[in-house]
Amino acid sequence: MEQQQEATIEPKKARTGIIDCDVHPYPRNTEEIRSYMKQPWRERYNGGGRGFYGNPVHGDRLDARPPQGGPSGSEPELLRRQLVDEYGYAHAILMPRAFCNLHPDPDFGNAIAAAYNDWLADTWLSKYNADGVFKGSITVNTQDPQAAAREIERWAGHPHFVQVMTDSGARAPFGQRQFYPIYEACEKFGLPFAIHPGTDGMGINVQPSPGFPTHYIEWHTCLSLGFQAHLVSFLTEGVFERFPRFKIVLVEGGVSWLAPLMWRLDAEYKALRYEVPWLKRKPSEYLRDHVRITSQPLERPDNDAYLLQMFEMMDAEHVLMFSSDYPHWDFDSPTRAFPKLPEALHRRIFSENAIEFYNL
Amino acid sequence: MKEAIDIARHVVGKVAEIPAGTRRMVVVEGRPIGVFNVNGTYYALKNSCPHQGAPLCLGTVTGMTLPSAPGEYNYGREGEIVRCPWHGWEFDIATGKSIFDPHKCLVKTYDVTVEAGEVPEVETYPVFVESGSVVVHV
Ligand code: FES
Repeated sequence: MEQQQEATIEPKKARTGIIDCDVHPYPRNTEEIRSYMKQPWRERYNGGGRGFYGNPVHGDRLDARPPQGGPSGSEPELLRRQLVDEYGYAHAILMPRAFCNLHPDPDFGNAIAAAYNDWLADTWLSKYNADGVFKGSITVNTQDPQAAAREIERWAGHPHFVQVMTDSGARAPFGQRQFYPIYEACEKFGLPFAIHPGTDGMGINVQPSPGFPTHYIEWHTCLSLGFQAHLVSFLTEGVFERFPRFKIVLVEGGVSWLAPLMWRLDAEYKALRYEVPWLKRKPSEYLRDHVRITSQPLERPDNDAYLLQMFEMMDAEHVLMFSSDYPHWDFDSPTRAFPKLPEALHRRIFSENAIEFYNL
Repeated sequence: MKEAIDIARHVVGKVAEIPAGTRRMVVVEGRPIGVFNVNGTYYALKNSCPHQGAPLCLGTVTGMTLPSAPGEYNYGREGEIVRCPWHGWEFDIATGKSIFDPHKCLVKTYDVTVEAGEVPEVETYPVFVESGSVVVHV
């Protein structure tokens, strides 16, 4: 038997006002989700996540596993202690991992999305949320956009759901018209649309890299490719002209690619505007009004100055929002993941941008 | 240069309490430290990862894939590596050095000795070890 005598570390109780835009709550077990399903889905649902491209080492922070058992992120008290209290959060934006849109059967996907929303509303957004620290995301199944729109409508009046979310894995780039019922609903109810990695190249979805890579390290590094393709699609298809109050947030898709991608797109636009005449401005000019990007996983060049330059080039002051990805293995600590930032920029990234974006 | 740096002895437990393959977490002079017994030899590491400050010593004690030709896997050093509980970086328990960059990325180590107990039972080595104390020098 291992003998361990826990080193006690004093929690920092001071409120820092940080808003963390990517925190993952988990059900304690599959039954918790299943109990919100009608038959035949209740019988059919057996939980399950991505299925493959699993992290070969550990997928979650080991110290985030509840001592009483159950998955990481399933005990609100532990999550609060390690995250909300430890860093003095004002809010944690919760992003459950339903993996609903990898299924060939859209009705099954819809049932999973709905059950996750019911569960989140009953637990993390109510029972565990006396102080309102937790804000939630409405999970939608993008392979059935009409049903997704109805699901958004079902929750739009809820005080703690602040956005709509789905996986970056999709059958097509998200700017395409088959998804518009979702964006119409988001716009109507003033809810941003968040994209999070999860089902790229799984189930019915395409893999954004050429074919299927061999290793987790390849798959994980290349997750940002899907985000880039979705963003270019949103911008060129004119989604933000069609839905002028629609906003998106790219969660966990990487950060520092944003500036060079926009340079490239703006350069292309000079000749190829012909093809996308509905764009009234250079593609990059839509960013500040419509697009936010979250920080984790934050690229860290050996030289901190390079990252600060990147922040300046991508207008991080207005588009970047902090996220930790707790309890996942690549968690970014709010106090250690960034180089030292000028105070005003720190405030923008760690709270003000999110306060404005989510109307918190 | 200071002539004599104060190095204090801290008894952290009996030898029998930290058998091979186990570890004990202690706080010495306010510093959280992990004491590991790797195949009968004791090592102490600061319980804070140089990356983002995770409690490194609570990580998995494991082996590692050894450098190899592409497409080959050679697994070895079982029990000599601690893997950070957050991002999974590997550290050599004996030296505190990270596997991917031993020169730039390392965790502080402390000297550990095994000292005889109050009642020396002497004579044979195994008896001595049984009654000894594990001492960390900070
Ligand atoms: S904090 Fe230890 S590997 Fe990141």
